[in-house]
Amino acid sequence: MKNKIIMFWVIMAIVITAIAVIVMKPTKLGLDLVGGSRLVLEAQPTDQVKEITPETMSHLQFAIEQRVNKLGVAETVVQQVGDKRLLVEIPSVTDLKEAKAFIGETAQLEFKKPAKEEKGVITWESTGLTGKDLSKSQLTTDSSGQWVVSLEFNSEGAKKFAELTEALVNQQMAIFFDGELQSAPVIREPIYGGNAQISGGDSGFSYEEAQRMVDLLNAGALPVPAEIVEENTVGPTLGADSIAASKKAGIIGLSAVMLFMIAFYHVPGLIADIALIIYSLILFALFKTIPVTLTLAGIAGFILSIGMAVDANILIFERTKEELRAGRNLFTAINSGFDRAFTSIFDSNMTTIITCVILYLLGTSVVKGFALTLALGVMVSMFTAITVTKNFMHLIFGTGELKHPGLFGLRKDEIGAAYQAAETQREKARFGILD
Amino acid sequence: MFNIGRKHLVHIVKYRWWWMALTTLLLVPGIVAMIYSSITYPNHAPLKVGIDYTGGTILQYGIEEKITNKDLATTRANLEKEGIENPYLQILNVNSDQQQNTKSEIQSIISVRTKFIDKDSNDTETITGVLNEQYSNPELMSVSSVGPTMGKELFKNSFIAVALAFLGIVAYLSFRFRFDYALAAILGVLHDVLFVVGMFSILGLFYDVQIDGLFITAVLTVIGFSVHDTIVVFDRIRENLRYYSKKMSFGEIVDASVNQTLTRSINTSFTTLITLLALYFWGGVTTKDFVLAMILGIIIGTYSSIFFCSMLVDFWNDRQTKAKQLSV
Repeated sequence: MKNKIIMFWVIMAIVITAIAVIVMKPTKLGLDLVGGSRLVLEAQPTDQVKEITPETMSHLQFAIEQRVNKLGVAETVVQQVGDKRLLVEIPSVTDLKEAKAFIGETAQLEFKKPAKEEKGVITWESTGLTGKDLSKSQLTTDSSGQWVVSLEFNSEGAKKFAELTEALVNQQMAIFFDGELQSAPVIREPIYGGNAQISGGDSGFSYEEAQRMVDLLNAGALPVPAEIVEENTVGPTLGADSIAASKKAGIIGLSAVMLFMIAFYHVPGLIADIALIIYSLILFALFKTIPVTLTLAGIAGFILSIGMAVDANILIFERTKEELRAGRNLFTAINSGFDRAFTSIFDSNMTTIITCVILYLLGTSVVKGFALTLALGVMVSMFTAITVTKNFMHLIFGTGELKHPGLFGLRKDEIGAAYQAAETQREKARFGILD
Repeated sequence: MFNIGRKHLVHIVKYRWWWMALTTLLLVPGIVAMIYSSITYPNHAPLKVGIDYTGGTILQYGIEEKITNKDLATTRANLEKEGIENPYLQILNVNSDQQQNTKSEIQSIISVRTKFIDKDSNDTETITGVLNEQYSNPELMSVSSVGPTMGKELFKNSFIAVALAFLGIVAYLSFRFRFDYALAAILGVLHDVLFVVGMFSILGLFYDVQIDGLFITAVLTVIGFSVHDTIVVFDRIRENLRYYSKKMSFGEIVDASVNQTLTRSINTSFTTLITLLALYFWGGVTTKDFVLAMILGIIIGTYSSIFFCSMLVDFWNDRQTKAKQLSV
């Protein structure tokens, strides 16, 4: 009995810790609930970069991170998945179109020289001088007060730029930004020292245009272009709707299951209900501690696991009832209920865990969330449905006498007098009555 | 000792052929739908597959008016006029108490499915424009896009996941039980999966329900649950065999075991169903089909573990005994 009281306080301590965690820690909600954008980018090989190496990927990741950070949104994620993909998550963005455009742009700066001229239309050809040769870019104004983007080349870039301007004296040199001609000044004299300016042509740049260009240039050109291969964007309204709906479904589901358990199993049912509440508290606290990002599918997994968590209790109580009907004494009936149901509970939960592991390893992030919550749920339910319920059952029915079979949802005549049968020494030893 | 002699509610062995017939009857409509779909759909899939597997883009707009099918037809025509190829439109109705919860004005959600919209395309703006003309203040609520290569990959992964789940469960069951039990459990699982897939094939034909990544998740959960249920029955058969194999025939033990675990099987499925039904009626709009797949799976999983799997074990045992008698 002493052990059981100690166990009771251990359980209480766990419950109190769980409640403290729930109160103190914030819940991490997925993008489908708070709203936000989840993009999977895939690096595209080009003529220059034919193979996507891990090095290219880390460059790409760095450049994308820089750009995403520029959006000024907290808790963004840029993470490599697989050999050539990046996962980008941007929570709570209102103008998602803009966020996406920013990431997608390759921000290619290129200097080109004239190839030939036909009827006043010049075709341009590459010079090999690109944004990669740039060390930094700044926003300034020129002598006439127009916004211009000033460029500072690195040593190699400065050398290339000098050679190029030497060769192009009295000719035009074009500056292309993302494939668009920005300006094509005539080179009066060779420029040494590695400084240049881009002006916005005849109409000039607006402040925003110039600033954005500077940001993009400083973020560095992407080593290879990146294509969006998957996108999931959810506006804040839909997310709020989903949270409200899930809460409601969860509360209705939980209450209905609890009512059912009391109606069918009476006192043990009530104990199972308390175990179920403890289960929900521990699981929710675990979600916050790990932390597990709760998505809509994850919440569905959580709610589903409530229905499945009582399974172990149903198995145990059915067995206990059977043993009582067979004339066992209450204490033995309870113990063998737990004892005999255990292999079933363990084996069946293992198969659920096997499928969860597979889902977790192979699934997309939505599926992963579901698998993780379900697997955690199954493991926690083994503890609450077995350890917690057993402890409470022992504390309440510890005397070993069942005066009112109705407490178990049984009729007196179903049990007969047999329930008072004395246990044999062996059975007592087996189920620990002697302790 | 136990209520092994209690009056049985269900008789597996006695009505074996009836259960076989009922099982067939349950599976046939779905199989027919799958064959019909494979022949008629352009991609020869037995199910209507969503963008997760084919690639494509789904835009969801919240609308402040109640939308009818007639409105939708107009929208479709307008979209086609603007050069959107084969748009696929659907109405998701927002239930009224969900509105009270969030105080949102949105009555209906229109979901527009098109081919994959890449970053250089202006299709999103075009679609938003068309909706803007027809409805007041449509709000773009969500965008999901899957590139064509990604779709193929996801499909491959889902296939591997289901295959691995089967293998993992067979391995575990063979380790814990006998191999023939594992085989019966797996046949039960196949039966359940076939039923759910068949039902979704029918839903695809009549209600344009499409399967996505979540559907595969639901199927895998059903696999887990179905085996879970079967194990409880088998575990009981195993236990009873230990005590009664000398006094009772195998068939009698199977019958007794099924009846002993009957209340539990039904109660567990019932509590799980309660939570699923709550999710179906009050939960998020986007997970409805996912929940429906699980509801169907859990009902059929309970049926199969009570009637189908135990019947298989008994059937198997019968044939083995007969074979033994012949060889003697």
